[in-house]
Amino acid sequence: MSLPLIVLLPLLGSLVPLLSSNRQRNLNAWSTALLPAIALGIVIAHAPGVVAGEVYHSSMSWVPQLGLDLAFRLDGLSLLFLLLILGIGLLIILYARYYLAPEDSMPRFYAYLMLFMTSMIGIVMADNLLLLWVFWELTSLSSFLLIGYWYQQSEARRGARMALAVTGMGGLAMLAGFLLIGHIVGTYDMQTVLDSRDLIQADPRYLPALLLVLLGAFTKSAQFPFHFWLPHAMAAPTPVSAFLHSATMVKAGVFLLARLHPALAGSQLWLYIVTLTGLVTMIYAAYFALLKYDLKGVLAFSTVSHLGLITMLFGLDSKLAVVAGLFHIINHATFKAALFMSSGIIDHETGTRDIRKLSGLRRSMPMTAALAGLAAASMAGVPLLNGFISKEMMLTETLESGLLGGLAWLIPVLATLGSVLSVAYSLRLIRNVFFGPEAKELPKTPHEAPFPMRLPMLILVGLCIVIGLIPAVIVSGLLDAAARATILAPRPELQLSIWHGFNLPLLMSAIALAGGVGIYTVRRNLFNFQRQFPQRNALMIFEHSVRRLLQWTQVTIDRLENGSLQRYMLWLIVAVLFLTGSGLLDLDQLQGSRQPQPLDGLLLAGAGITILAGLGTAILHRRRLVSLMMLSVVGLMVSLAFARFSAPDLALTQLAVEVVTVILLMLALFFLPQRTPKESSGARVVRDVLLAAGFGGVVASLNYALLTRPMDSISGFFLDNSVSGGGGHNVVNVILVDFRGFDTLGEITVLCIAAIGIYKLLNRLRLFMPSSDSEGRPWSRDLHPMLLATVSQSLLPLALLVSVFIFLRGHNEPGGGFIAGLVTAVALILLYIARGVDWAQQRLSFQYQPIAVTGVAIATLTGLGSWLFGHNFLTSAFGHFSIPYIGEIELATAMLFDLGVYLTVVGATLMILANLGKLTTRHRPSKENEKETV
Amino acid sequence: MSDVVNQGAMMALLAISPLILVCLTVIVVMLSIAWKRNHTLSAILTAVGLNAALLALLFGWTLGTVDVTSVLVVDDLSRFGGVLVLMSTLACVTLAHHYLEGYEGPRDEFYLLLTSAAAGGLVLVSARHMTTLFFGIELLSMPLFGMLAYTFRDRGALESGIKYMVLSAAATAFLLFGMALLYAVTGTLDFAELGAALSTRGSDPWLLAGAGLLLVGLAFKLSIVPFHLWTPDVYQGGPGPATTFLATASKVAVFLVLLRLFQSTLAFHENWWHDLLGFIAVITMLVGNLLALTQNDLKRLLGYSSIAHFGYLLVALVVNQGLAVETVGIYLVTYVLTTLGAFGVVTLVSSPYVATGGTADASPLHHYRGLFWRRPYLTAVMTVSMLSLAGIPFTAGFIGKFYIIAVGVEAHRWWLVGSVVVGSAIGLYYYLRVMVTLFLHEPGMQRRDATHDWAERAGGMVVLGVATLVILLGLYPTPMINWVNWVAG
Repeated sequence: MSLPLIVLLPLLGSLVPLLSSNRQRNLNAWSTALLPAIALGIVIAHAPGVVAGEVYHSSMSWVPQLGLDLAFRLDGLSLLFLLLILGIGLLIILYARYYLAPEDSMPRFYAYLMLFMTSMIGIVMADNLLLLWVFWELTSLSSFLLIGYWYQQSEARRGARMALAVTGMGGLAMLAGFLLIGHIVGTYDMQTVLDSRDLIQADPRYLPALLLVLLGAFTKSAQFPFHFWLPHAMAAPTPVSAFLHSATMVKAGVFLLARLHPALAGSQLWLYIVTLTGLVTMIYAAYFALLKYDLKGVLAFSTVSHLGLITMLFGLDSKLAVVAGLFHIINHATFKAALFMSSGIIDHETGTRDIRKLSGLRRSMPMTAALAGLAAASMAGVPLLNGFISKEMMLTETLESGLLGGLAWLIPVLATLGSVLSVAYSLRLIRNVFFGPEAKELPKTPHEAPFPMRLPMLILVGLCIVIGLIPAVIVSGLLDAAARATILAPRPELQLSIWHGFNLPLLMSAIALAGGVGIYTVRRNLFNFQRQFPQRNALMIFEHSVRRLLQWTQVTIDRLENGSLQRYMLWLIVAVLFLTGSGLLDLDQLQGSRQPQPLDGLLLAGAGITILAGLGTAILHRRRLVSLMMLSVVGLMVSLAFARFSAPDLALTQLAVEVVTVILLMLALFFLPQRTPKESSGARVVRDVLLAAGFGGVVASLNYALLTRPMDSISGFFLDNSVSGGGGHNVVNVILVDFRGFDTLGEITVLCIAAIGIYKLLNRLRLFMPSSDSEGRPWSRDLHPMLLATVSQSLLPLALLVSVFIFLRGHNEPGGGFIAGLVTAVALILLYIARGVDWAQQRLSFQYQPIAVTGVAIATLTGLGSWLFGHNFLTSAFGHFSIPYIGEIELATAMLFDLGVYLTVVGATLMILANLGKLTTRHRPSKENEKETV
Repeated sequence: MSDVVNQGAMMALLAISPLILVCLTVIVVMLSIAWKRNHTLSAILTAVGLNAALLALLFGWTLGTVDVTSVLVVDDLSRFGGVLVLMSTLACVTLAHHYLEGYEGPRDEFYLLLTSAAAGGLVLVSARHMTTLFFGIELLSMPLFGMLAYTFRDRGALESGIKYMVLSAAATAFLLFGMALLYAVTGTLDFAELGAALSTRGSDPWLLAGAGLLLVGLAFKLSIVPFHLWTPDVYQGGPGPATTFLATASKVAVFLVLLRLFQSTLAFHENWWHDLLGFIAVITMLVGNLLALTQNDLKRLLGYSSIAHFGYLLVALVVNQGLAVETVGIYLVTYVLTTLGAFGVVTLVSSPYVATGGTADASPLHHYRGLFWRRPYLTAVMTVSMLSLAGIPFTAGFIGKFYIIAVGVEAHRWWLVGSVVVGSAIGLYYYLRVMVTLFLHEPGMQRRDATHDWAERAGGMVVLGVATLVILLGLYPTPMINWVNWVAG
C-alpha cells in the first residue's frame, strides 16, 4: 500500500534540505519540493477512487499494548485536507525560497517545514485515535520550531512558547478525552469509533469526553477564549504564518471537529457548545481585526474569526451546514494563504507591516495589489469569488437553525454582524495599504517582488476565482467525498452555484457589504471608542498573568524555600503535627481501658525534677556547660526511674552510659565556645516554644493513649524461658547474650568499627588548646588536682574489682559484661582525667584497638564454637559445677560471649575517650611553636 | 529433609546473591583502597562488582518469588527495582570517575559510599517487613549524607549534606514513631500481617497517626509536598554524581517499597486515604511545576521537576487498580532513564571537579547558554531528556505520561487528570526554556564546558546510551511494556 508513503515522503523530505548547504538556495528548494510533490502525486492518483466512494486503509501494529497502531486512512475528508496541505505546502516552499534573507538558514527552515507537514498529514490520515493524537502533539512541537524560527528575537521565542503551552495543554486534555472514548468504545480504531455514535452518546462519560476533546480542538483552532496565542504566533516568518494559519495548524482543530463529527455531534451539548463558541469567536475576532494596525495582526484576527465561522457551521445541527463548513475550509485556505503571502511581500519590499505607514502601494506593486485585492474581496464575500458562495451557504444555514429556541433570530443577525465586520476589515486592509497617496518614509523603497514570489499568489487567487465562478465543476466531487466522510451519508442535495435567486441570504449578504463599507467610513469613531479601553494585548495579558504567577511563585519560594534549615524543619513539623493531631482529634477519649499505676510522692517528685531539668536544658541551652549539667540531671533521673520500676540492669547501664556520655560531651565542649550566640528574635522564640510544646503535647498524648490501652507484650516468653533456655535468672542479660545473642554480636561489631572510625578520624586532628574560656577567664593552672589524683588512683583497683564482680554475677543477678565493661572504662577514664593522658599512657602502655577487636573475636568464636558440637551458630550451653571452697557455680558459654562484650566495650570506649583527650595534650601548637623559637 | 532445607537455603542465597555481591564489592574496594589508592582501579572494581550483581539478578530471573527469611522477599517486583537501582548506580560510577578526577581530596571512598547506598536500595526493594524497610532506608540515606557533602570544601556541597542529614533524621524519627504506633496497635511489623490486622480494625485513629507518620517518612524521601522543601537546595548543592544517585536510585527504591506497602496493606484502600493522597498528589504536581517556573538554576529546576514527577506517580498509587502497577513500573523506567540523561549532562559539564567557594557544579542555567554551538551531541542528549521529561511523543517520557493519564481517566479521577494536564502544560514551558537556552547564540556570562573527550569517557558513553534508549523506547516501547507487564502480572 502506498498510504504510509504519503506520510513517510515528507518525513524523509525533512532530511533532504539538511544535506545541501545554505548557499545553494535553488537546489535546496527544488530538492525539498521533490518528495512532497511525489506524495501529492500519490494522493491525486488515489483521488478518483476516493471521489467514487472508496475509503483506503492501511495498518501496521506499533504498540499493541496501548492500542496504538500505525493505521492510515484516505477518505474524502483526508483527501480534501491532503490536497490543501501538500498543495499549499509546495507553494510555500517556492515562496519561502525568495522570502528568506541570505543570512537565514534555509535548510533549517525547510527541515522544520517538512517536519510540520508530516505531522499535519499524519493528523488527517490517522486511522487510530491515539495515532492522531501523537501527530497532533507533533504539530504543536514542530510549529514551535517554526514560530520560533527567528530564535534570536525574544518576541518570537515568547510567542512560540505561548503557542506551545496553550496547544500542548489542549492536546493533553484531548488525550484524556480520546482515552475515554477508547474506553467507551473498546478500541481506538477510527472506523469503529465513528460507527459507535449511539454507544458513545448514551454513555455517562460522553460529557467529559466531549469537553476534553473540544478543549483540544478549540485551543488548536484558537477559539474564544483560547484565541490569544494565535496573533502572537505571527512573530513567525510570513511563509510559516501563511502555511500554519491558512491551511494547516489552526485547521487541525476544525479538522478534528469534522473527523469526529459522526461520533460526537448531534447532541444538544455539541450544538450549544460548538455553535456558540464559534459564533462568539467569529464576532469577537472580527471586531479586533478591524482595530489592528499590524498587517499580519489583522490577518491573524481574521483567521480566528473565520475559524469561528467554520466551527459554528460544524456545530449547527444540519448536514448542509457541515458541507458549508468544509467548503469554507477550502475557500479560507486559498484566500488567506494568498493574503498572508501578499503581506509577506509588502513586509519584504517596504520593510514594515504597519497599516498606518503603508499607503498607495498599488503604484509600485500593481500585481500584488490586484491579487491581494481579489483575495480580500473573496474574504469579504464579494460575489463571483469563492468566499461569497460559502458565506451565502453559512447565512442560509443560520436561518435554519433552531438554536436558542425563541431567540433563534439572534443567530442569523449575529452572523450578519460578523460578515459586516469582515467586509469592513477587508476593505480597510486593501484601501489603506494599496490606495491613497504614495507612502513616504518607508524603510525601503517599495517595488514589485520577484515573479516567483508572486506566482503562488497568482495560483491561489486564480483558484479563488475559478471556484467562485464554477464551483460545481471544480469542487463538487471533492466536497461530496468529504461530506460523505464527515456525515457518513451522501451529501444532501445542494446547488453549488452563484445565483440562487432573490432570497433572504442574498439580502443579508447585501447588508453585509453595505454595512461593511459603512463601518469602514466611520472607523475613526470606532477607534476613538476603543481608545477608552486600556490597550489589551493578548501577549501582554498572557505574559502579565504568567508574570503574576511567577511573582507569586517567587514569593512562595522566598517564603518557603529561603534555604533556612530551621524553616524547613518548621514546615516538616507543622505538617506532621497536623497529620497526627487530626488523628488524635478522632479519638473519643485519651484514656484507654487499662488503669494507670498509682502515683506516690517519690514518683511525683522525680517526675517534677525531670521536667524541670528538661526545661532547664532547653532554656539555658545558650550556656552550654549549665545546660549540660541539666541534661545530666535528666539522665540521672531516667536511670533512677529504671531502678524504681524494677529494672536494675537498665538503671546500671544507663548510669554508666550517662557518665561516659557526659565526659565525652565535656571533652567536646572544652574545644568549643562556652556560649551559643543568640540568634532568635523574640517572636521566633515564641513560635518555636509553641511549636515544640504542641509537638511534645501530641507525642505525649499519643504515648499516653497507647500505654493505657491493652496490648500483648513479649516479655512473658522471656520470663518463662530464661532459666530453662539460657540458664540464667537475669532475664535482661540472658536476652543479650543468648536469645538475642546474634544482635549483640552485631552491635559490638558496630561499636568496635565506630570506635576504630573515630580513632582514625581523630588521628590527624590537631586542635589548639584554649587557655581561657570565651569570656577570657583562664582555666585553672592546676591541671591535675592532687585530691582527684589520689582518689582516682586508689579507686581504680576497687572499681576493677567491682566490675569483675558485676561481670561474674551478671547471668543471674543484675549486671553483665556490658555494664562491667562500662564500669571499668569509667574507672580508667577517671584516671586519665585526674593524671592527664601522658601520665596515664606511660603506665597503661597497651593499645585499646586490639582489646576491642579481641572482644569481637571472642564473641564470634564462642558462636562458632557451637558448630563444633553440631549445633546452630551461637547455641549456648551451660552447666553447674561445684568448686571447692567457693561452692556451686554455674558456667555457661554465654559467659565467654559476655567476656567478648566486656572487652569490646572497654576497648571501644577508651579508644574514643582517650583519643579525644589526647587531641591537645601532646600536640599543642603553642608548645611546638615555643620549642621552635627556643 | 535436610536436602530440602539446603535446597531452600541455596535458593535463598541465589536470590539475594545480587545484594551479597554488592556488599562484597564494598569490602573488596575498601581493601583495595587500604592496599593501594588508585582512583581508576576503585572505579573499575566497583563497576565490575555492580555488573556482577546485575548479572546475578538477571540469572535469578526465573526463580519466581523466593522468601529470604521473613523480612526479605525476592520477587519480580524487587528484581525490577534491583535492575533500576543497579543501573543507576552504574551510571553514577561512570559519571563519578570523570567528575572526581579534578578533586584533590580522597576520591576512592566515594565508590564505597555509592555502593553501600546501592545495597540499601536493593534491601529496600525486597523489603516486606518494617525492619528491612527501616534498615534499607537508613542504609540508603546514610551514605548519601557523605556523598552529598563529599566535596565538603565547597560550601554548597557541605550545606546540602548537612541539610539532608538533619531533615532526614527528623523524617526518620517520624518513620520510626509511626512504625512503633502501628506495632503497638497490631503487634506485627510484617507488611502482609499488618495489612490483615489493619483491615479487620477498619478506620482507626491509631492507624491514621501511625500510617500517617510512616508515610511522612517515606514522602520526605520522595520529596512529596509538603515534605519537599529540602529537594532544590540539596539538588543544587550536592556534587553531580551524588545528586544523580539521589534523583534516580534512591527515589525509585523508596517508591517501590511504598508501592509494596500499598499493595499488601488493604487499609490504604479506604476512601479517605485515597482522597488525602489524591489531594497531596494534586498539590505536589502543581507546586513542583509552578515553583520550577522561575528557576534560573538547572539543578534546582530539575529538583522541582522531580517533585512534580513524583506527583504524577502518586496518581497511579491513588488509583491503585487496573493499570496502576504497570504504570508505576513504566513511569519509573522512563523517569530513571530520562533523569540519568539530564543529570548526566549536568555532571559531564561540571566534570572534572573544580574547587570553588560556592557551588562547584555548573548548575546555573547561563552556563548552558549556547551549549549547542560548543558541544552539539551533549546538547542533543539534554534536549532529548527535556523532551522526555515534558512527555513529548517519540520519547520514553511520553509512554509514561500516557500511562498516567490513562490510569487517571480509567478511574474517573478528573481532578488528578486535570492536574496532570495543567502540570504538564506548565512543565512544557520551563523544559522548553532550558532547551531554548541551549541553542541561543549569544554566550552566557560565564561558561563551563564538558571536556573535549567527554564522549570517549565511560560517563559520556553511558549518557549517550541513555539518550538513545529514551528515543528507542519512545519509538518502540513494546519490550519495556512487556517486561513491566510481566513484572506486574
